[in-house]
Amino acid sequence: MARIALTGTASFLGGRLLRRLVAAHGADAVLAVDITPPPTTLSGVRHRMVDLTLPGADRRLVEVFREEDVETVFHAAFFTSPRRDEAYAHELESIGTLHLAAAAAAAGVRHLVLRSFTAVYGARGQNPCFLTEERKPDAESRLGWVRDKLEAEAHAFSFSRRYPGLGVTVLRFATLVGPGVHTYYTRLLSKRLVPVVLGYDPLVQLLHPDDALDAAMLALAAAPSGVVNVVPRSTLTLLTALHLADKVTLPVPHPAAYPLADLLWASGVGEAPGGFVDYARFPCIADGEKARLELGFTARHSSREALASFVGYRFPGRPSELPAPLEGGTGDARETGA
Amino acid sequence: MSGQPKVVPIASRPRSRKPESGPGASAEGERLRHRVGQLEQELRRLRESGEGESLLVALARAVSSGAGGLSWATLARVQRALFFAWHSEETDDFGADPRFARTLEPFLEFLYAVWWRVEASGTEHVPASGPGLVVANHSGVLPYDGLMLQLAIRHEHPARRLCRMLALDMFALLPVLAPMLTKSGSVRANPENAERLLRRGELLGVFPEGVKGIGKRFRDRYKLARFGRGGFVRVALRSGTPIIPCAIVGAEEIHPVVGKADWVGRPLGLPYVPLTPTFPWLGPLGLLPLPTKWSIDFGEPIDLSAHGPEGAEDPILVNRIAESVRATLQQMLDGRLARRRSIWFG
Repeated sequence: MARIALTGTASFLGGRLLRRLVAAHGADAVLAVDITPPPTTLSGVRHRMVDLTLPGADRRLVEVFREEDVETVFHAAFFTSPRRDEAYAHELESIGTLHLAAAAAAAGVRHLVLRSFTAVYGARGQNPCFLTEERKPDAESRLGWVRDKLEAEAHAFSFSRRYPGLGVTVLRFATLVGPGVHTYYTRLLSKRLVPVVLGYDPLVQLLHPDDALDAAMLALAAAPSGVVNVVPRSTLTLLTALHLADKVTLPVPHPAAYPLADLLWASGVGEAPGGFVDYARFPCIADGEKARLELGFTARHSSREALASFVGYRFPGRPSELPAPLEGGTGDARETGA
Repeated sequence: MSGQPKVVPIASRPRSRKPESGPGASAEGERLRHRVGQLEQELRRLRESGEGESLLVALARAVSSGAGGLSWATLARVQRALFFAWHSEETDDFGADPRFARTLEPFLEFLYAVWWRVEASGTEHVPASGPGLVVANHSGVLPYDGLMLQLAIRHEHPARRLCRMLALDMFALLPVLAPMLTKSGSVRANPENAERLLRRGELLGVFPEGVKGIGKRFRDRYKLARFGRGGFVRVALRSGTPIIPCAIVGAEEIHPVVGKADWVGRPLGLPYVPLTPTFPWLGPLGLLPLPTKWSIDFGEPIDLSAHGPEGAEDPILVNRIAESVRATLQQMLDGRLARRRSIWFG
């Protein structure tokens, strides 16, 4: 029986998606591919241990895909936060996707979905208010974190060009913020003091994990080709978000912000290297029109609601002026707690 | 005392707490529950009113609690109150912030009515609804002319429309100015933004001269520079939007640029650093614009719908239209300048 293989099931999004898929299609229709097994609460889910960074990963994946009769692959093994060991991140994201795409093409997989980020467009002053999928992403970014994602996308697309049988969808998700999300972004939102760039207040998009999962499920069903942005219903300015979350902000002039962030990052204190300062200066807002047309996806939560649900999860009991999240909206993200 | 047994009558208390099964008792319970609900609501209302307290109250509370009461929570509260005193909690999709615009308004109105004594004419040419592209001459080092144009349409046009300005990329990079322009409804000048807004039926203001216009030298005042590469015409053609020429007179003298210090600006990422008779010699005082007399004239709309959207692909046609808009605008400027007797009094 044809299965959906899911990589990166130990990650936040992968794990939640695994749950959704099991709930929708039954444990038998899903295959978890990761270096750690899925949680024991998901009994009956088949798990194959494949390390995408190893040289023989593509051969092993072909075997796995053939044996398990895999038709669709959702590749969620990406780092949502920057890592200090960039070499490993590069091996996993860029080379790992190369292995995966090669194996998918060789094993006759019909559809490959990649998890990506709207941050790959790059935050620039010249950006239009809404970045559509036609916009060329920032391939020369100074962030290895962005370059690895773009290389991964390029590998997947190159295989889909060479093997017409393999359809590729790249879902570029906006910044995930919500209950259970642990990324550099939510860690910054958990601090008391958040440094900001003096004199800049860009718009940001904060995506609720439930919306991300809805979009992922729709993409698996509809199998659109090419890049699709997945964005929340509305935007928020960065300072509005920080003040709504009751943060103390510390404005830093931008010429000092980059070296300071790099210094903190190198010393192990900071959450992200200097390249991320761009995202606190300039907007990087993606347009969700294609997702609406091709997936029928419209986010249920606004950026503000995503932020409210995160603040409620991270600081329970704190009185907040933020509106309560939608009814039933956070149900399945909250059930596991972690 | 000694004759009485030492019995503590605890049995009576729990019994009295138990709900009694009489009809009178349930009515009593109902009444109490109702009262508790009322009190809870009262409490919630009080707490909410405390959350939304004004800036002054938050500051006073912080001051009265003194250094001992200084905590992250108070600091965050004060910062929050300070921030939301002049920012609204919701912006539109393009970042326009109504409360921020209201905060800025008294200052801009002072500039409009007192400092530059702006006279607007021909506002009836601006469409009351639907898309429109206002094309104006750019000048004045800082984007005052855009803000005044915005104000002229909001105050003197019967529909009180918001005219979104297409801001130069240069301003999008500058601290303080970039968020200020975004919050007052401006967007970056690029075709994607312009087309998206025009399709939504919004009114746009554009300065096709761009950087060449704003950093114009004093001797070149009111001589229109090249109109970019005609991008504004292409956008207007594609969306079938009428072009409204708009001549701003007076703005070109507020900061007379006598020279440019490119060697200072280049390392700072600025396209130029203007030298005026007052800047940088008088320091921050040199940033004060001169109180000239302004006039903002809107001309007859130029209808481009006859050419159709496919006209946008014809570079010769686009250039011809851009040139004719430029000629019209130059004519309007020359006409107004000929009638003007004084820079200061109009």
